[in-house]
Amino acid sequence: MAVIDLKLKKKPELPLEAESISPNKFAGKKAADIKKLPVYYGNEQLTIGDFFNVSGDGGEVDDIKINIDGDLSNIKRIGENMTGGEITIKGDVGMHVGSQMSGGKIFVNGNADDWAGAMLKGGELEINGDAGHYIGAAYRGYWKGMMNGVIKVKGKVGNESLSWVSGSKPGKRFPTLICGSAGSFLGIHSHGGTIIVEGDCDRCAGADQVRGTIVIKGKVSKILPSYKKIGEVKEIELMNGEIIKGKFTEYSGDHSVEKNHSKIDKKTEKVSNSSNGRLFVAA
Amino acid sequence: MSIEGLTLLTGRTINQGIALEGGKTSKENVRAAGICAIDIKDFKKLDCMVGTPVKITTDHGSVMVYSTISEEGPHPGIIFIPMGPWANQVVNPDSQSCGTPTFKGMKAKIEAVQNGKVLDALDLIKTLKEA
Amino acid sequence: MATKKIKTITDVPCPFCGTLCDDLEVDVQDNKVVEVRNACQIGTKKFFSSNPSKHRYEKPLIKDGDSYKEVSWDEAIDKAADILVKAKRPLLYGFSSTESEAQGKGVELAEILGSILDNTASVCHGPTLLAVQDVGVPSSTLGEIKNRADLVVFWGCNPVHAHPRHLSRYSEFVRGYFKKDGRHDRYIIVVDPRNTHTAQLADLHVQVKPDEDYELLNTLRAVLRGVELDAAEVSGVPMEDIKELVEKLKTCKFGIIFFGMGLTQSMSHHRNIDSAICLTRELNDHTKFLITAMRGHYNVSGANTVFTWNTGYPYSIDFSKGYPRYNPGEFSSCDLLIKDEIDASLIVASDPASNFPAASVKNMFKHPLIAIEPHETPTSAFADVILPPAIAGIECEGTAYRMDHVPLHLRKVKEAPGDCLTDREILQRLIEKVKEKKGE
Repeated sequence: MAVIDLKLKKKPELPLEAESISPNKFAGKKAADIKKLPVYYGNEQLTIGDFFNVSGDGGEVDDIKINIDGDLSNIKRIGENMTGGEITIKGDVGMHVGSQMSGGKIFVNGNADDWAGAMLKGGELEINGDAGHYIGAAYRGYWKGMMNGVIKVKGKVGNESLSWVSGSKPGKRFPTLICGSAGSFLGIHSHGGTIIVEGDCDRCAGADQVRGTIVIKGKVSKILPSYKKIGEVKEIELMNGEIIKGKFTEYSGDHSVEKNHSKIDKKTEKVSNSSNGRLFVAA
Repeated sequence: MSIEGLTLLTGRTINQGIALEGGKTSKENVRAAGICAIDIKDFKKLDCMVGTPVKITTDHGSVMVYSTISEEGPHPGIIFIPMGPWANQVVNPDSQSCGTPTFKGMKAKIEAVQNGKVLDALDLIKTLKEA
Repeated sequence: MATKKIKTITDVPCPFCGTLCDDLEVDVQDNKVVEVRNACQIGTKKFFSSNPSKHRYEKPLIKDGDSYKEVSWDEAIDKAADILVKAKRPLLYGFSSTESEAQGKGVELAEILGSILDNTASVCHGPTLLAVQDVGVPSSTLGEIKNRADLVVFWGCNPVHAHPRHLSRYSEFVRGYFKKDGRHDRYIIVVDPRNTHTAQLADLHVQVKPDEDYELLNTLRAVLRGVELDAAEVSGVPMEDIKELVEKLKTCKFGIIFFGMGLTQSMSHHRNIDSAICLTRELNDHTKFLITAMRGHYNVSGANTVFTWNTGYPYSIDFSKGYPRYNPGEFSSCDLLIKDEIDASLIVASDPASNFPAASVKNMFKHPLIAIEPHETPTSAFADVILPPAIAGIECEGTAYRMDHVPLHLRKVKEAPGDCLTDREILQRLIEKVKEKKGE
């Protein structure tokens, strides 16, 4: 285990872009070298050492454990693109934490800002507080967002979380979000995501969902009119085979969307109107 | 008199457009953009003369504007302030991280204020700067 | 005394709104606009307001205590460049009411400074661009619509007030090549929470509840796919009316949806547009249907176009790392200002003090501000440096892009007053001075 401790000297006035804080970037480096890694402060390039006290040396990527102390609420891109190792953030953290991560684990013992876990490819991101908008979402213009991995948020996630999530049973990719409560447009354009909301959820959950599973254990402010009630169930089988027990109302949707945007059945010549997406709301 | 639970919309009007091209710091601009159009049924509840200053309050601030009767009704429950510095004291600055503030749909309260003072654009900004 | 000759310039594009009417006639006498024909009230006013007045800046100004002192261009440019070079997170904003070469200079300056580069789409049709990036957009030029559309939907827009001649030139009253009976050859639908003046001229007004457009669009798409839904009413519209509306949309020969701030500025923002575009796309299973955004400024489409061909992105661009990055919400002007992340602003051809929410305006004025602005506005009235430009489209030629992205050539009908320089020249001088100060 190669433990590296970072302590923020003083909360910067402008946001800091710190994608150099990741096990991959620290691998094989001594503390003195880690201090020289670049961070971006407005239009100025400075170093980690200008903002953090650093102790400990890096080893192999998967063995590295980074602990970060201080108010990191405007430090962005920590853990971006990491493939292994661990990061523990003792308080709040800024935007893009763990974005495009494909392995390893990040634990945030506070609140996260927008875009946490965006485009996640694997690994685990755990947030012990609330998170902003676009959690596990696709960046602008991408129609494949989070592909694998797990995001757990104890508190509330903002709007459009897990937008364009892309999971696959045959490909054994089960991108999953488990959160305390959620904002609007949860899982918009979902293509095979798994979302479990332990509490309440705002409007338009599952908008444009093509396939995937959304489970809401609390109250939904409004269910989209294009979701059709199928019936009552006592248990739910998630995409990855896990079972959730409880009384739920099952809906299929989103019936407003057709994956290919124009599917006319060649035999019947009618527009196909089935849906593989599912929404479960606690009864 | 006051009314609560209204929805505030903002947007362009042709008069506001003409006024902005003619000098945004002019008095003409106050009468074009420092106003609130109210549905005629709602106006009756306010129990005041047309043109009486009204105080519009939302979760994001408050502003004093002149009251008018809407020519684009009926729309009971909806009030309309043309885009501009008056509307912007009360719109929702939060963009939900999409970049564009939410200029329409705020929950609002309207209150008739007989001797209310409607500031012109420059005084409005000065007050904002000093706050 | 002999009066000066009146010069008439024809085929003048109007530099006000995204309709970019190109049939104006302007009479100029003694370098003043004396008459404008064919323009709407707002366009007319814009031409007249270019004449010298107490509101029009003619010389560069620098703030001096509570007032301003007139200075030379060299002094003003030097001070402005100084402010920009010293800033760590400067903002270059506006650009929608100037010509495209100036917009290109803006990109160059932003890159050199490592600043934020943004235009008015940020508070207007930015959500439209976000949606188009997600789901595309089936659209066409306005000419096609004028000549072919038999069903026109205005969703969340009020052209009578915001694009006054749109209805007469392209969408409602005009006689088209295949629509020789003009208004009688078209069915007009308005979807709006208010019975706007545009709705009052329409054949059908769908009075949707504010902030519930998404649910209505979502329902229209499901009904279009032939799905029987459970709801009896959606967003204040009864299900029978929704089904009837879908029939009308399906059975027209050539439909068009024009949409505006009703969809982009309400809660749901770009997701409203996303759904409207998908509805349009799905209608093409049944008939020909298109969708077009009613762009507000006469050259905001140009700002998006020029920014995109230079950087790959249409607005809310960050150059702080030396290369362009794009993320509205993170790099958009209003959000950055609310967080007080900007430490200096250069405002070009725009008035954010009037058009940004109060929380953003307050923080904007905490830091130095340079305004390239022809008239006194709530932004320029509190600026630290005022650089007076020639008004593009009146005193300066150039290119502007209409709401349907068609480029038109702006005319110069008169000379700018006083010491005014064109926007592109002002920006070029700033670029050179900034480079000099940075030692390049």
